[in-house]
Amino acid sequence: MTVLSAEQLSKQYNGTLALNNLNLSVDKGEVFCLLGQNGAGKTTTINLFLGFTAASSGKAMINGIEVHPNDSSTRQFVAYIPEIVQLYGNLNGIENLDFFSRLAGFKYAGAQLSSFLLKAGLQETAHRRSLSTYSKGMRQKVGIAIALAKNADVILMDEPTSGLDPKATDEFTRICKELAADGKAIFMATHDIFNAVNVGARIGIMKQGSLVHTLHSNEITANELQQLYLETI
Amino acid sequence: MNISTTKLFAAQIYWNTLKNKALRVLLGIVALLIIYAAFSGALIYQEQTQTRQHYQHEVRTNWEKMPDKHPHRMAHYGYIVFRPKHLLSVFDYGMESFTGNAVFLEAHRQNSANFSEAGFSTGMLRFGEISMSMILQVLVPLVIFFIGFGAIATDRENGTLKMLLSQGATWKEILTGKAIGLLGIAVSVLLFAVVVLLVACLGIAGSQINGDDILRIGTVLLTYTLYFSIICLLTVIISAVSRTAKFSLVILIGIWLTAVVIFPRTAQAIGNFLYHTPSRIAFEAAVEKDLIKKGDSHNPDDPYYKALKDSVLKAYHVQSVDELPFNYGGFQMKEGERLSADIYNQHLAGLLGIYQQQNNVLRLSAIVNPFTALRNLSMAVSGTDFQSYTGFQQQAETYRYALAQHMNDLQIKYISNKKPDDHDHPPSISKAHWKEFPDFAYQRASLGTVMYHELWSLLALLCWTAGLLLLIKLLSNKLKAI
Amino acid sequence: MFLLLLKSFLRSRIAVAGIVIVLLAGITGIFIGQQHIRKQQEAIALTEHFQQEHIQRNAQFFDKELGLLLYYLRFSLVNKLHPLNALSIGQRDVNSSIQSLTIRNLEGQKYDTDLFNPSNVLTGNLDMGFVLIYLLPLLIIAFTYSLLSEEKEDGTWRLVATQSKRPVNVLIRKLFVRMITVLMVFAVLLLLATFILSLPVDKLYLAVICLAFIYMLCWFGISFWVISLQRSSSTNAVILLSIWILLTVVLPGVANNFITSRYPVPESMATVVQQREGYHEKWDMEKQPTVDRFYAHYPQFSKYPLPDKQFSWLWYYAMQQMGDDEAAVQVKQLQEKLRLREQSSEYIGYFIPTLHTQQQLNSLAGAGLANQLQFMDSTARFHERMRLYFYPKIFEEAKVKSVDWDMFKVEYFSEEKRVSWGGLLLPLLLVTLVFSVTGWMNFNKRMTAFA
Repeated sequence: MTVLSAEQLSKQYNGTLALNNLNLSVDKGEVFCLLGQNGAGKTTTINLFLGFTAASSGKAMINGIEVHPNDSSTRQFVAYIPEIVQLYGNLNGIENLDFFSRLAGFKYAGAQLSSFLLKAGLQETAHRRSLSTYSKGMRQKVGIAIALAKNADVILMDEPTSGLDPKATDEFTRICKELAADGKAIFMATHDIFNAVNVGARIGIMKQGSLVHTLHSNEITANELQQLYLETI
Repeated sequence: MNISTTKLFAAQIYWNTLKNKALRVLLGIVALLIIYAAFSGALIYQEQTQTRQHYQHEVRTNWEKMPDKHPHRMAHYGYIVFRPKHLLSVFDYGMESFTGNAVFLEAHRQNSANFSEAGFSTGMLRFGEISMSMILQVLVPLVIFFIGFGAIATDRENGTLKMLLSQGATWKEILTGKAIGLLGIAVSVLLFAVVVLLVACLGIAGSQINGDDILRIGTVLLTYTLYFSIICLLTVIISAVSRTAKFSLVILIGIWLTAVVIFPRTAQAIGNFLYHTPSRIAFEAAVEKDLIKKGDSHNPDDPYYKALKDSVLKAYHVQSVDELPFNYGGFQMKEGERLSADIYNQHLAGLLGIYQQQNNVLRLSAIVNPFTALRNLSMAVSGTDFQSYTGFQQQAETYRYALAQHMNDLQIKYISNKKPDDHDHPPSISKAHWKEFPDFAYQRASLGTVMYHELWSLLALLCWTAGLLLLIKLLSNKLKAI
Repeated sequence: MFLLLLKSFLRSRIAVAGIVIVLLAGITGIFIGQQHIRKQQEAIALTEHFQQEHIQRNAQFFDKELGLLLYYLRFSLVNKLHPLNALSIGQRDVNSSIQSLTIRNLEGQKYDTDLFNPSNVLTGNLDMGFVLIYLLPLLIIAFTYSLLSEEKEDGTWRLVATQSKRPVNVLIRKLFVRMITVLMVFAVLLLLATFILSLPVDKLYLAVICLAFIYMLCWFGISFWVISLQRSSSTNAVILLSIWILLTVVLPGVANNFITSRYPVPESMATVVQQREGYHEKWDMEKQPTVDRFYAHYPQFSKYPLPDKQFSWLWYYAMQQMGDDEAAVQVKQLQEKLRLREQSSEYIGYFIPTLHTQQQLNSLAGAGLANQLQFMDSTARFHERMRLYFYPKIFEEAKVKSVDWDMFKVEYFSEEKRVSWGGLLLPLLLVTLVFSVTGWMNFNKRMTAFA
């Protein structure tokens, strides 16, 4: 079942084409990785799905609903995890999760909140520590917990693995697979070719706002993908 | 707009502020200053009120104790009236320190209200005084700016803003919620100040506090809440449209400096520049010139007084004033007093008119500067504004005129027309007459009158609040997360 | 290097905007000062004109009795204005520069204030003193608060730090560029003021320049110290603005409240009540004791006996004199209190640069309380001189025409001004030094390369 799709989606900023006629769809339980240089249009795509910016033409759809101008209703299906999850430093993990869940209209008991954090891979000992002591990877786990708590159908991630150490990246990959297994659709913009292959996703390569290639990770090795990527851009 | 989401933002900013150590220290300093200001305001009120009541009482006792005298001597002995302080001057000193506190009232002459604090001050007074109103008007807004400048801009810089929005929060909820949270902090400070004020008032006035005082304190609470709403809305709006928190802070500080430091002085200076006031000497010379034109009582050949005399003699069919059935000297002085008071009052009204014109520049500018609007309202409610002062001056002059004419009437009625010889006892009347003349009782304008005068300022505050709310509504549809 | 720094600084919008605002405010201030001086001078010219007319007219009406004429006649003493008063209006808008007195009792006359709009005094004058004390520090703060933090936040500082042997020297140079700019702005204003107000270039002028210069230096010192704490731009802005408020609003306000309540002046009201009683009660008392006390005060007049009449001018002026004599204790106490106020303010000023600068500026411009007190003293001497001149003539019942009335021109008081350089500059220099040295030590202890 398709939960996230783009139909001839284009975006212009002051005359320059940031996104050109994008067509794609992501199904339930599927991970889609978007590769491309800085400025290729990855973040623009994510912003269009979040409704932070309106498309110049075409449609961005979530669960069959056009994001613009219905972004307030489509947002309930989407969770967003930015490159650095900058939550509130003076609150602890549980409190942050509670705050963001309430924003989405959910009220959970403490034990439930803890279970979301555990599921996202955050150890119990960290739950009540101030967020300012968290590493980048730990913050990201809180971001994932927020997505879980919101019961989002789609998780949009912006360069989630940049700056993570290899162990943390490995753990992240594992969690992504679990999320997909639970039926979430994951759409991530990334530079990390190896992770893209490992997470077992469909992979798109973008260049100057256009989606040039789309392939599946089981069709290709990481090295071949890197070769293709370098040739494309 | 979802109420619970809005509440969430409000609570977040409110409790975060109270949890933050630096901000706690800042709010603590403000609280200490408020207590200090209340204490020192109460002390000044008590000291000055006691002094003034003491001397007002002494003046009255001495007046009643005067022995039998010629009434005109009594008119020159005169009276001294002291400007009573309003209880709320504890809260807002207003112009208190710059206005005269005592006027000597005598026949023929309008003396200035003298002995202002400013006259006895080193230049220090010009830096301003620490009053509760100053803290609430000037310092608290800045504290709110310091607390709230990053309310949205920091989230934007961090990328947290995108997460907030992706979780389903709307701009309207974010802006309104954060503004309400900030307002919560400001109102907490305000409530604290009002409680301290009530304690101070109870401490100095005790059971003498009346309904009017309570009503005025209530008005203070309302108008300041309105003012703080403007400040808080402004803070979140600037924070929302700024790319970075630093930029937001710089803009807010700029707004504060313009509104509080530069704008009022400039507006008042423009008023001064446009409307010239005479110096004391020019004013007095103009009064004297008009007076001489009308009739110079000092000049024995003055045509006005000659005509007056002739008409009186004719009406009573007598040859000289000695034959008149009443004291002609008193009669002539009564006429002279009427003339001179008339002319003086005309000139004074002109002068006060110019002052009012000068002040109007600042007053009218309240529509663009809510700080000015609140300052005027606050002074008016506290009975320390320009209107209260001129009100006192006018009542003192009315009392002086009544006193002089009362003494002239006594002279007309009771003093013989015959000039006493050198060895006669000088003519005098019974001291019982002194008590008849009532003491000076200053009548304050009612709160209704005061508010009517300050309708413009109130309107300015309401317009600002409404305008900013409208702006939030508009911005909610325009603002971008990226 | 210096030129590059200057270029990059002057290209920033905030620098240009700040300079323009301060220049505009300064020029406004100069013209407001000029307006003040003109108004005062017009009043003085008017006084000179009217004194002649007033004496002529009254001498004509009351040509029989000198005693009666002098009941009416007013003689004026003018507190001379120094041109520097245009830069710092000080107390001259509240306290009258002209005293017009009859020879009747003094205490009832000398506190008459000038006519002024209390709203004007409340909002304060926009004179050059205001620009110097309030606005220039804000300009300095705006120019320096992100001197270092900005480079760290933009990421340029890591490069600067690796390129230069002593990175702090780069900071000092940047600070120097801003210092030159601020001083130039002030110099332009001062030059304009000198021409527009035709200020005499003398010792007082030099003192004003030194005072202003060191006051600005003082703020650069404070800024340097805040920069040395190496916080973020926003934190620096908050700290510096808080210091500014502390120095221009809170501390002077607290000091003022302290002085007002430490030295209250109920004597002012006691004086006015006492002199009135002292004079008026004599009307209903035996004449001889009053006159005897007058003789005791002025033995030289005991040769004039009390005329055996119901009313005599000797008795009248003796009564008037008693008003002053009986209020003398309160007057002395009042003066003492005011002197204490003046002195304490000066001492407190040593610790508060803004207060010190304003007080010194006022005193250089002859617009402070000290000047007012001296003028009051001079007024008393002037009044006494007029009395002593006319008393014998009145008592001898001299003819009105026998006095040469043209002789009585308006007189002038001008304060003798000495500049005590140490008291003027040392307190500010000390504050500058403390902050600069502490800042320097902070940098030597720790200089981080990152935000």
